[in-house]
Amino acid sequence: MELALKDIRRHLGKFLATIVGVAMLLAIVLVMNGIYQGNIQDGVWLIDNTDADLWVVERGRGGPFNEASRIPLDSYKSVAATPGVARASPLALYAAQRVINGREQQFTLIGYDIFGGAGGPGRLVHGRTITAPHYEMVADRKLGLQLGDRVPLGTDHYTVVGLTSGAVDSGGNPLIYLALPDAQKVQFEQDKRAIQAAAAANLQRLNRAGYSGEQAARLLPLLSAGTSNINAVLVKLAPGADGDAVSGHIRDWLYFNVYSTAEERLLMLEGKLSRMSAVLGLFRSLLLLVSIVIIALIVYVQTIEKIKSIATLKLIGAPNGLIVRLIMTQSMLLTVASFVVAYLLRDLIAPGFPRTLGFLPVETALTFAVMLLGGVLASLMAVWHALRTPAQLALGG
Amino acid sequence: MSVVEIQNVSQTFGYGELAVHALKPTSLTIEAGELVALLGPSGSGKSTLLLAISLIQPPTTGRIVIDGQLLYDDGPTGVDVRAFRRSKIGFIFQQHNLIPFLTARENVALMLQINGVGRRESTRRATDLLGYLEIAHRADSLPAQMSGGEQQRVAIARALANEPALILADEPTAALDTERGTKVMAMLRKIARERRSAVIAVTHDHRMIEGFDTVYHLDDGRLAQVDHKVQVASEVRA
Repeated sequence: MELALKDIRRHLGKFLATIVGVAMLLAIVLVMNGIYQGNIQDGVWLIDNTDADLWVVERGRGGPFNEASRIPLDSYKSVAATPGVARASPLALYAAQRVINGREQQFTLIGYDIFGGAGGPGRLVHGRTITAPHYEMVADRKLGLQLGDRVPLGTDHYTVVGLTSGAVDSGGNPLIYLALPDAQKVQFEQDKRAIQAAAAANLQRLNRAGYSGEQAARLLPLLSAGTSNINAVLVKLAPGADGDAVSGHIRDWLYFNVYSTAEERLLMLEGKLSRMSAVLGLFRSLLLLVSIVIIALIVYVQTIEKIKSIATLKLIGAPNGLIVRLIMTQSMLLTVASFVVAYLLRDLIAPGFPRTLGFLPVETALTFAVMLLGGVLASLMAVWHALRTPAQLALGG
Repeated sequence: MSVVEIQNVSQTFGYGELAVHALKPTSLTIEAGELVALLGPSGSGKSTLLLAISLIQPPTTGRIVIDGQLLYDDGPTGVDVRAFRRSKIGFIFQQHNLIPFLTARENVALMLQINGVGRRESTRRATDLLGYLEIAHRADSLPAQMSGGEQQRVAIARALANEPALILADEPTAALDTERGTKVMAMLRKIARERRSAVIAVTHDHRMIEGFDTVYHLDDGRLAQVDHKVQVASEVRA
């Protein structure tokens, strides 16, 4: 006779309620796993999804993600001329917040060379890539935009021609791709009135310095903030080229910082992501621990509730195996059923979750294994208690 | 034929000056079909004697033979006591102690199944036993759905399931009113006579004394007095 199943059948409501309660807690653990991995996936998404072997950034900077980097546009031509470089592409990156679709949204603008340069959007889920030199954009669908929507950025409007899915920056914010000149304009060009005010101030300074009207007019552009900067150059190495040698050459001769994709990834993981990963990892561990403790307590309390029945079973001569099976079966059923429900809950929560959730099967399996181990340990504790229960407890009132 | 033979069984808890002699050397013999009461006030040693006979709490000294099997001779004799209890001894408790999540039939069948009887056969025999104890109509009820008297009858059916040579009952009527207690006593008597099981009941329920064949009075851990009902004893021996 399977006592555990009989007990569960008689107290089905209580058992199901317990499963739901534990499952909700476990679902949080699983979602936290997803947040942890999602944080890392988001953090390195752009690095992993950019077809570059080397990242060239401003000297002395850990850019372009961890630290601002600004280099002249023309520098990519110098990089392209470096031996061992197959292709060098300029890239502009700009984190922004604008009203899009009627609400304030954070996003990152990526400006890339639309004529064969690296750094553009990968697989599109709708529409096409940017083909016109100006006023077209590819946006991630997280922004809620549709093909054909016109989005005001800076002084111009851009038409959505393509949509990506899951294209995010290191903070999990969606990406908008623009042609490089458009991105530079959005990033570096000021408001018209501000430009006019700055130009007027510079003109006055030149006049005070003794330059005549014509001279001052010629010198004025040199004092204005230019828009011909980029944030990084993406390098694709020629087949067989030595990445270290190319990096060394660019560092020594062009005076830039150069990171391989692996180094850029490491910079991100050990820099921007490390603290958040540590916090999420800590919470994840704590939640797992709390879940195990709660399961252990439930199993233990369930056993204590049955202690007189267990004493009676011992007294009437029931073998220990019967008692051990009673406790272990219930504990395992509780743990496994809770995990299954938690898994379903997780899948229910994930699509509407505001951040990227990264679920690794290995991690889910590991979490299950840890929970199961917790359940087994809790059962063993309960079994130990049950087997120590004196049979004479069944006697007397 | 003697079902229970105990000689100089004693129980001492603690050592030296702190030693408590819960049961002083006691000897008694109980025949098959005999209904015996261990009567005495609280702390008189009657439960200690019951625990010693069933080897739930082995005595300090003494010799215990049940159904011809030497179980204890100033120490364990190597017999698997739990297995022996399972097959030779039936227990009836004051609070019935039915497994609360099993029906009446399942409670009885469980006892058979832990003795190796198959599921179908155990269910059939459990149903028969419940019929024998006139509680078959409650076979599918849970303990919580039954009255105290009904639960006690199911508990008796469970105690009888393995056709034990000895039934040990701990205050079997204490939780019942007089009418139900009398019915339970009648049932125990019927079992003793028809199934030739020896029944030992710990009780301080003086209302039920009339129903027993032999009454052992215990006082301060000592067997103080024995009352035999001669006519009943001869009836038993016959």
